[in-house]
Amino acid sequence: MAAHAAHVTDARSYTPPAALDRLAGTSLLVGLAGLILLVIGGALSALHVLPFDLSHAFRAYLLGYVFWTGISVGSMAIMMLHHLSGGGWGVVLRRIFEAATRVLPLMFVLFIPIALGMYFSKLYPWTMPQVVAESHAVAHKHALYLNAPLFLLRWVFYFAVWIGLTVLLNKWSLEQDTTTDPRLRRLLKDRMQNVSGPGIVLFGLTVTFAAIDWLMTLEPEWFSTIWGLLIMVGWGLTALAFAICIESYFVLNNARLGEVYQPRHLHDHGKLLLAFVMIWAYFSLSQFLIIWSGNLPEEITWYLHRLRSGWQYVALFVVLFHFALPFVILLSANLKKRAGQLILVALLVLGARIIDLFWLIAPTHIVFPGAQGATAGAARVIAYALYFIAPFGVGGVWLWYFARQLKTRPLLPLGDEGLENALEQIHGHH
Amino acid sequence: MASIDPSQDDVGIHVTPYPVIEPGHTFGSVTDKISSLTLKRRTPLGWFIGFGISFAFANILLFAIAYLVLTGIGVWGNNIPVGWAFDIINFVWWIGIGHAGTLISAILLLLRQSWRTSINRFAEAMTLFAVSCAAIFPLFHTGRPWLAIYWLFPYPNTMNIWPNFRSPLMWDVFAVSTYATVSALFWYVGLIPDFATLRDRAQSKPFKIAYGILSMGWRGSARHWARYEKLYLLLAALATPLVLSVHTIVSFDFAVGIIPGWHATIFPPYFVAGAIYAGFAMVLTLTIPLRKFYGLEDFITMRHLRNSAKVMLATGLIVAYGYMMEAFTAWYSASEYEGFMMKNRIYGGPYWWAYWLLISCNVLIPQVLWMKRARHSTVVLWIISLVVGVGMWLERFVIIVTSLHRDFLPSSWAMYRPTIIDFATLFGTIGMFVMLLFLFIRFLPVISIFEMRTILPQAEVKEEEA
Repeated sequence: MAAHAAHVTDARSYTPPAALDRLAGTSLLVGLAGLILLVIGGALSALHVLPFDLSHAFRAYLLGYVFWTGISVGSMAIMMLHHLSGGGWGVVLRRIFEAATRVLPLMFVLFIPIALGMYFSKLYPWTMPQVVAESHAVAHKHALYLNAPLFLLRWVFYFAVWIGLTVLLNKWSLEQDTTTDPRLRRLLKDRMQNVSGPGIVLFGLTVTFAAIDWLMTLEPEWFSTIWGLLIMVGWGLTALAFAICIESYFVLNNARLGEVYQPRHLHDHGKLLLAFVMIWAYFSLSQFLIIWSGNLPEEITWYLHRLRSGWQYVALFVVLFHFALPFVILLSANLKKRAGQLILVALLVLGARIIDLFWLIAPTHIVFPGAQGATAGAARVIAYALYFIAPFGVGGVWLWYFARQLKTRPLLPLGDEGLENALEQIHGHH
Repeated sequence: MASIDPSQDDVGIHVTPYPVIEPGHTFGSVTDKISSLTLKRRTPLGWFIGFGISFAFANILLFAIAYLVLTGIGVWGNNIPVGWAFDIINFVWWIGIGHAGTLISAILLLLRQSWRTSINRFAEAMTLFAVSCAAIFPLFHTGRPWLAIYWLFPYPNTMNIWPNFRSPLMWDVFAVSTYATVSALFWYVGLIPDFATLRDRAQSKPFKIAYGILSMGWRGSARHWARYEKLYLLLAALATPLVLSVHTIVSFDFAVGIIPGWHATIFPPYFVAGAIYAGFAMVLTLTIPLRKFYGLEDFITMRHLRNSAKVMLATGLIVAYGYMMEAFTAWYSASEYEGFMMKNRIYGGPYWWAYWLLISCNVLIPQVLWMKRARHSTVVLWIISLVVGVGMWLERFVIIVTSLHRDFLPSSWAMYRPTIIDFATLFGTIGMFVMLLFLFIRFLPVISIFEMRTILPQAEVKEEEA
């Protein structure tokens, strides 16, 4: 008991480092600058300065939005998996995941531009009456599923579920910190575990349909049954890579926290990252191989849009940098234990996630209407540049909010009974 | 899969209700208890009865196969359009059952889950026997299995005939034979130290010699152990991808075709989850009576049963997700054929009952496992494990028969009806499987003796002092 109590006071001093304030400040500036650039890009199209469709600005925003929302929702899922299965690897990351989930209310509001894009641009082709009229496949699901009011209703529903789970898990986690009664701590742990079981089921269902709504319906005739799983794993991977970046950032910037996040933790997180990279590749290859073999017109079209007119190089990039390179690098046990190297792999994965989303979202046949010559070239450059500005725009605001949330609580769950085990070795008190 | 560390107990509030091994055992008592099953105890009467019945069923299998080979595969109910039925259903079912063994022995070993230790040997044996049963079906589906070598394996022959390398059926040959090889190696390597224990303890000369040969000169020296541990980990790492690859390729057998009901991108993960689901169900079906009759409750504790139940619940939900996505996408795709297939499967066709039986067995009834009380009752767990076993068989029946019997051309629609030979082969393989298990229980240690010794609290103390 004595050793345990000593630990609690010990850990209480693990407050977030001052570097977080710098991160929050810089992020907000970058975020606002990115969003302003995105608006300028949209204006260039809306005011007919450059001949690219306005939907590109919205698609770019969608990329940034899905990427960062994925980190929040993916964090929620990994956190729930940890509540269900335990293990020291999750104890040390819990507060990072919790702070990431607390950004969800902000992301709920940040969905508004997508709703605007749906109404005022060709972001989602199924909103256009002529598409509904011409396509049997779109008309078939228009009344019951694929229409604007239901799309918005589902958006509210997804966030209600996500924010609901976030509120409960964060509330109990904080209560665990503030009490010293072991019985109550145990009760709170059980509660978090009990919510996480159904929570994972709800996560699976909501993310599946969010993935269909937000991404699959960009090509409203296309369908794939593995899509929900593919996006789920993508989000989990993004969330994990992000958490690894934050923990490595702490280790590199603060010697005291370097004692908390030990090499063995980094090693476990690196292994988990490798597992996610492999599962993502497995799902992606499964989808591709099955659709390629079947070669049915209603399915293969989606790949043809993404494997022709230059997109094949983006696809190749995704294969090499989203799978092959991180896979090979992460096989090394030594590398996974070093924060300075692991953070580079995690950043590579985050970058590759953006390219992957770019490959999923950007190819569209509603491209550059009636443009030729130099302006057409400029239009392409600007339009595609927006896809890489948007993740910084949305991300800056996200990170600012995240850093502020992370600061509000100690960096370790002080009331978690697994904490002592998780931090063992460095203190060697037995 | 909560990894509950015994050292947490000292806080005084976190007492694990069920340990992986009941307290009070010593290195000697563990060895005595497990090895006595094969060496000392008289073979119980129940063993002879059980073995006799399963042996009879195995003979039915022999008869069914002999009749098939002498007559031709027309003795099965297969027809056009249902060109595949019981043969592939049973193949996929048996292969799936084997997956729990590999998952328990390889993946849980790498994840350092100590609760795997008392059930891994048994589950690995189950894998081997299940794969043997599975192999019978595609082999005899060829009709002339003695010619199958050049239909299945790409070897340079004088006829210059090659199998189609783009066909997953071809990949399956490699996936399954690799799987069988690695599983056999893993099982045998795991047995070597225990063979040596039995050799040293055996009273009768023939047993001494037999176990002596099987133990390959194991002396238990430090060098032996160091190499052994390394080999075992390597084999585990090799076996891990097999858990995914085998059933993924089995799912490709269907999914790369364009038959509605087969051509779904979710098939690979959903087949893998289904395989683990069926496998853990079989583990429970077998271990619950085993631990009861042989009094092994100290080693196969409620912890093992509870964790297996949780794995079943999780994989069962993934399977349910697969059913849901198939139905949703059939509607969402607006494809006439997909829509017809789903309607035919669920309520419009003659096999609607199979679909609803499947949903009851695989989705509805297992939800009982959410309740703690259900997970802690051996009777409930055993019944659910049987229900899931049946459900997973029905799943393959539904996928294969209802998708094929009404294909694109209504003029070629036909009903599929299994013949008595179909049933004789299915139940015959079940007989063979059970018979092999009875032999295994009688002649080999059903629980890994040396690994059980390592999870005793005494072993941990030693480690810390060292």
